[in-house]
Amino acid sequence: MKTTAAIVGTGEVPTGNYPNRTEAEAAVTACRQAILDAGLSPRDIEAVMPVGVVMGSRHFNTDLIFSRLCEELGMLRSVKLNAQVMAGGASGSATLKVACALVASGAVRNVLVVHSDKFGSTTMQQGIDLFATLGISEEWEAPYGHNANTAVALITQRYMHETGTTEEELAAVAVSMRQWGALNPNAMFRKPITVEDVMRGDHVCTPLRPKTMSLWADGASAYIVARAEDAPHITPTPVYVRGMASLVTHYSVSQESNLAFLAFPEVAKEAYAQAGLAPRDIHVAEFYDAYSVMPLLAMDAMNLCEGERAGSFIAAGHTLPGGKLPMTTTGGAIAQGHTGAGVGVSLVVESARQLMDKAGDRQVKDAVNAAESGSGGTWMDSHISILSREAR
Amino acid sequence: MSDQPMARPVPKPTAWSQPYWDAAREERLVIQHCNQCATRIMNPKQYCPRCLSDDLGWSESDGRGTVYSFSIQKRSPASPFVGKGPYVVAIVRLDSGVQMLSNIVGERAFDVHCGDAVKVAFEPIPGTDITLPVFELVG
Repeated sequence: MKTTAAIVGTGEVPTGNYPNRTEAEAAVTACRQAILDAGLSPRDIEAVMPVGVVMGSRHFNTDLIFSRLCEELGMLRSVKLNAQVMAGGASGSATLKVACALVASGAVRNVLVVHSDKFGSTTMQQGIDLFATLGISEEWEAPYGHNANTAVALITQRYMHETGTTEEELAAVAVSMRQWGALNPNAMFRKPITVEDVMRGDHVCTPLRPKTMSLWADGASAYIVARAEDAPHITPTPVYVRGMASLVTHYSVSQESNLAFLAFPEVAKEAYAQAGLAPRDIHVAEFYDAYSVMPLLAMDAMNLCEGERAGSFIAAGHTLPGGKLPMTTTGGAIAQGHTGAGVGVSLVVESARQLMDKAGDRQVKDAVNAAESGSGGTWMDSHISILSREAR
Repeated sequence: MSDQPMARPVPKPTAWSQPYWDAAREERLVIQHCNQCATRIMNPKQYCPRCLSDDLGWSESDGRGTVYSFSIQKRSPASPFVGKGPYVVAIVRLDSGVQMLSNIVGERAFDVHCGDAVKVAFEPIPGTDITLPVFELVG
């Protein structure tokens, strides 16, 4: 498939608990960074695509929808479209798909995607209660005490049943995330942990232990998509979007027909075919987590573990800094922090940063191709994108 | 974000799901189907998700199936479930092919594994006229 779009700039503010930083301030800062990183001027942006806010104020979300960023950043009368795209945790992959389609269609040049949300002031119980309603069927699931944690626990349990993955291997995913987090100045958790540290935490809901889950955080990130033919004139380091495959598989997790792998096997195959690339061509995997099972099943589906199970491959240390296949080099939601719909956006940003050679201490040497994954709601959809320094 | 405590979630039957909850109150499990294309429908819907017909009906289920997956909620549930002690959330695959979310209850509930055989049981929600279909391990 001929490449039609590329990422040309990224921006991000630190993730964590920032009580004195407003959502708007964080959004404006991340957008400014992305525009400057691309070497564009604000008036080169023709579409602004803010992601939906989960926990920040409704007022701020309405400001995003009603073009506040266009006014703040000098994009009035040059932006033709300011419209929100929201797909929960899949919003990184989903905005990438929509932004690429917009530039490929010729409707606009240069789409600015931004996410900003504020979770840090939420209490633990408020968050648990909120995620016992979001994506949970009010009539068919909530009455049974089901919530987002049990939803992913059901996926995890089935994945372990079908693959033989152990709890220690789930813990090894968190260990990998924290090692990358230690190298990420924008991460909330920067102290490495061991498998034993993870296993010492009692189950919240089996088989999930606290450190294999994530904590809510404030954060913002942004990226810019341009037409492939414009990209090399904008930046010396364009990152081409070579493949984007996705499939929606359920609303209620109870209606998922392949609970262990969702649609990741099908979308992985399609993404490789679009990109014209094979597993050996992938140099870095920026896989969505929120919980440790999600990168495991994406690694298996993408066949990135040299015939091994993802669990044993990760437990052997191959995804750590310096390993054969660096994975989720931000530290993901587990180490960088869970910003709601922003986790996926930050993984698109990190994929681009790695391929632009701008990932600082986390830089994967000679990375040419990256894979990125996403899933939203109670893992309602499976997304895989493949990005590259080289256009097809 | 509201500071109000979250209320115990209780199903609010709709025009199309009322027969399901009426049957559950009589300790019967019924599954919706399409009279036009015979699709079995779970969770119950307004229209057939295959052919979009509104000609839907109900058939009695023997309530037997297997555990597709499960999780034991040990701590930190949503506030209405705090203090209830551990409970088992599961996806049950009924022998008729549909899947549903439920609880595994009974003395041996915490011994549950993927693939275990289960049969339906019924638990009224106190103070309401709703009865929830739940499952027990068999064999």
